[in-house]
Order: sequence, then structure tokens, then C-alpha cells
Amino acid sequence: MTALLAIENLSKRFGGLQAVADVSLQVAPGEICSVIGPNGAGKTTLFNMISGVLRPSSGSIGFDGIDLATIPPWRFAAAGIGRTFQNLALFKHGTVVENILTGRHTHLRSTVLDAVLWFGRTRREEISARQRVEHIIEFLEIEHIRDAVVGTLSYGQQKRVELARALACEPKLLLLDEMVSGMNQEETEDIARFVLDIRDELGITVLMIEHEMRIVMDISDRVHVLNFGRKIAEGTPDDIRRDPAVAEAYLGGNRAATTARTTTGADA
Amino acid sequence: MRTGDYKQTYGELVALVDSPPVWLWSAVLVLALIAAPHVLNSYALSLLTVILITATGALGLNILTGYTGLISLGHVGFLVTGAYAYAVLVAKYQMHPLIGLLGAGVVPAAASLVVGAPSLRLKGLYLAITTLAFSFIINTAILEMRWLTNGARGISVQRPQMFGVSFDGDAAFTYLCLAIATLTLFATLNIRRSRVGRAFVAIRDNDTAARVMGINLHAYKLLAFVTSAFITGIAGALYGLYLSFVSVEGFPFLLSIEALAILIVGGLGSALGAVLGTILIGLLPEATRIILGLFSAQMDALFTTGAQELKSMLYGLVIILFLRFQPRGLVGAWHDIRRTWVHWPLRY
Repeated sequence: MTALLAIENLSKRFGGLQAVADVSLQVAPGEICSVIGPNGAGKTTLFNMISGVLRPSSGSIGFDGIDLATIPPWRFAAAGIGRTFQNLALFKHGTVVENILTGRHTHLRSTVLDAVLWFGRTRREEISARQRVEHIIEFLEIEHIRDAVVGTLSYGQQKRVELARALACEPKLLLLDEMVSGMNQEETEDIARFVLDIRDELGITVLMIEHEMRIVMDISDRVHVLNFGRKIAEGTPDDIRRDPAVAEAYLGGNRAATTARTTTGADA
Repeated sequence: MRTGDYKQTYGELVALVDSPPVWLWSAVLVLALIAAPHVLNSYALSLLTVILITATGALGLNILTGYTGLISLGHVGFLVTGAYAYAVLVAKYQMHPLIGLLGAGVVPAAASLVVGAPSLRLKGLYLAITTLAFSFIINTAILEMRWLTNGARGISVQRPQMFGVSFDGDAAFTYLCLAIATLTLFATLNIRRSRVGRAFVAIRDNDTAARVMGINLHAYKLLAFVTSAFITGIAGALYGLYLSFVSVEGFPFLLSIEALAILIVGGLGSALGAVLGTILIGLLPEATRIILGLFSAQMDALFTTGAQELKSMLYGLVIILFLRFQPRGLVGAWHDIRRTWVHWPLRY
């Protein structure tokens, strides 16, 4: 089985700060993978490089057989990479439907001339796009807010709209950056269920950054741990739970080694 | 009170307007505009013509500044380029007026690529200054290229004759402007509800997210410039025809400010807003003159002597008042009124 995402020795420096250092990791098709680590470990920087927001300083990202360094960042979506942002990045003046429709961009072909004429290609495309969007709305159970302006929605709802927009891209790999931060128990469980459904029903591979250990341990197939920009551990949730290096990263110092098993065990 | 919107096909969901009353009132408005030249006196008719031309230009600027969020202070540059393109093609080289109108769109669109290129890296105030510089460069270039533009002497243009119809009369020329303004309105509304319009708005609201959605930022910013300049250039050609004389002085810098005032007053990012704003700004100097004239004849005289200065003061005042009390513009007020009307007697 070849990996869908193959990251080799990836590094990113901001001036003197080494945000990501020599990270290699692989994500196989159909996996749900998590990236965890303390604050400032370089998780979001890693995501920014995979999604084309930042260019790597060195190293390579292979995705679905292509080297991402060889294509411009705006083509990443068409290549099959979708993502959500840690701090909402919605088009806040638009309605939920409009936001999700924007996610269909790479699947539509109308030029400005087609658009001006409207009848014909553009109308056909808009109808089929709208149909897809309604399916996604139904899938994520946000029917009741579909015509609301996103700026007026609650945080949890906006996160869900972002997920819907990312799904509208029909990605092969979905990057979720702290989906459940700031959500209550019920919303968190909904998201966990959606992530499983996205993999099982839509066949989309998921790579997520998450601080909420319950969701990481419950639904991940593999977990990668970053600390100070370096990968310090990789394995199944059970491996990670028992890994002394991980406990040390989270708890710090020598004390961690002795308390590792009990603390991370309880946390999970 | 309406109970809800019930739709049965996806075609209805993507329709421009889903309510029959809106179509009905629009049809009434169009009929009224068609009847207008036969009812209005020549002064009111010329005011209507200017409003129609201004609406076309404002819709053009709306694509760039309203949809895409790129502020342009240099749109008068596209107006004057369009007017000169028409004048040179038709008056100097005796081309067909339709080719002239096409050229009035294409030439500014090409020029917009030059001014649009820096926009790929500049934002906000810096872009505004760049576009401002562009409009002054255009003026200088026109004045210097005497072999083509007659320099400061300008070019006089005659109203066209197309398809056996002469647009020389005021009524006929108003119809031409009405037709072009209506086509422009539908064109911009259609752009807004397509993938292109959504890409523009996405760039305005969050360019990082837009790129992650697969939108080519450079290409779409340039596309916004080109589309906007094309429409504005045609408005410029119409304005030149209205004045029957194309010169640099005919297109003062104040027009750029007026265009921005229209968008702010109407409501940024809305085609309906651009039209409503044009009507308000277009009628504002006249309305002020009439109201003040009621109080004293001296005021009336002041308007004839210092029209330009008073106009710019009025624009400034209106912009301030709208930003303070109705930042969403006339279109925002219209939405509030409509919501109250639809839901009455309930609050929401």
C-alpha cells in the first residue's frame, strides 16, 4: 500500500525560529491520523505547508504521486487537499450555502463570459453544484442554518460550516485543525461521528490536529507526536499512551517518566 | 405575512429573483423608464441620462471595490480611456460605433492589466494610491500623444447611428444608455451568482481561505480589474457621447470620489446598492439646490457659481453621515424595511 501523503524531512524556519524540523510522516489512504503535541510544537505550521499556505524551507511533500513543490499553492485544492482552519476562516458576509458553494470552485468551469450570459453552462453548473451542497448540508445536519449569514452563527456551527466547505472540495485528504476546540461534549461527539462517517462513507483520508485526547485516542488509526518542531513519536493510540517520551513532552522533566502511565492513561 | 419559501426544483434555488412581485415591479419600473423620455422635460431627461451612465460606471467599480475588495481611486482613468478609445476609433478612423463601444471596453481592460499587476502584492491604501497615480499618468499620456488624441484640444464625437436608428436625439440616446445600463446590471448580477463572483468575494473576505479553496488569487484579481475596467470604459464612452466632446477636462478626478461615494451610500458589494447609490448621489445636488432655493434666491445663485466645490462638500457630508448612521448603505436599509414588511406584525 503506497502512502497518500508522504512527507520527507520537512523543515520550516522563520528567521531564527525552527518551527518544523526534519519531520517525516506518512498517511495511508483511508486512515484517520492525528498530529498531537504541546502548544508551539509546529503542528499548524505543518498543516500550512501541506495545504500550500506556507512554502517549506526544505524537505518534500509527496501527495498522491505528485511532488507538491512542483505545483502552485492554489492547485493544491484541485489535487485533492482540503482543510479547515484553527481560527475560523469563513467568508463571513456570505450565507452558509454561499460559503459551501465557494468550496465547489475547482469543480466548476464557467468563465466570466459564461457567467455574464448565465443561461447554458453556468446555470447547469450552478444547479448541480447546489445539489451537491444540499447533500453536504444534509450529511452534516445543518439544514436549519443553511440561509443564515455565517457571521451570525455560533462558534460550533461556524466550525461545522467550515467542515462542509472543505467537504465541498471533494478532497482525497482532509486536514482538520483543532475541530473540537471550544466545543461542548455533545458537539465534540457529533464531530467525532462525522469524522468517522467522512472516512467510511465518503472514503476521505483524514489528518487532524487535536488537543482533545479523548477524540484522538478513540478514532485515530495512527498518532504522530510533535514537540519543538520535531517528531518524537508515532504509533497507534495505545503505543502513544505508553510512550515515555510523549509523557515527558506534555508533563516535562524527570517527574514525567514515573507518572507517564497513570496520567496519559487517565487522560484517555 | 408570508409563511416561508417553498421551492421544488434546484433551478428555482439558483434563480435571480424568486418572487413574482419583484418581477412585476421591475417590469413597471422598466416601462416607466421607457415612457420617461416622452414625459420629462429636456433638463430632467439629461439628468436621467447621466444617472443611467453613472450607474453603468458604478456597477463597473462595484466589481472591483465592492465584490473583490480592491479599492480604486483611479477609476476615472478607465472612464477617460474608454471615452478616448471610442472617440479615436469612431471620430478619427470612422469605424462602426459598435466597434467603438467594444474598443471602449477592451482598451481600458488592457490598461487595467498594467495597473492591476501591482495589485497582486498591494492592499488597501497602497493600492488606492497606485490606482490614483495611474489615473494621472493616463491623463498625461493622453495630453502628450497628440498624434492620436489631439492633446488638450480634445475630440468632438457625434452620437452614433446604428442599425438604421439614429441615437442623435435626446430620447433615443437615453434609450441607448438605458439598454446598456440594464445589460450591465444583469451582467454583474449574473457574475455575482456564479463561481467567478464567489471567487471575487472570497478574495475580499479571506484570501488565505480562498487560495486553499483552489482560487488562483493572481488570476482572479486581474480578472476583477479587467472586467471592472471593461464596464467602466463603456460608461466613459457613453459619457463622452453625452458631452459630445471628449477631453481630459471632461473627466475630473472628482468622478473617482463620486463613484466611491455611490458605492458607500448604496452599500458596498451589492449591485442593487450601486444603482440606489447612483440615484441618490445623482439627484443630491439637484435636490439640495431646490430645497435651499426655497429659502433664498442667493443660495440658488451660489449653486450656479460654485457647483463643483459644493458637490464635493455634499459627497463628503453624505459619506460621513452614511458611515455613521447606516454603514450598510441604502441596500441595508432596504433589507431592513423589507424584513419588517414581510414579517409584520411579528418582530422577526
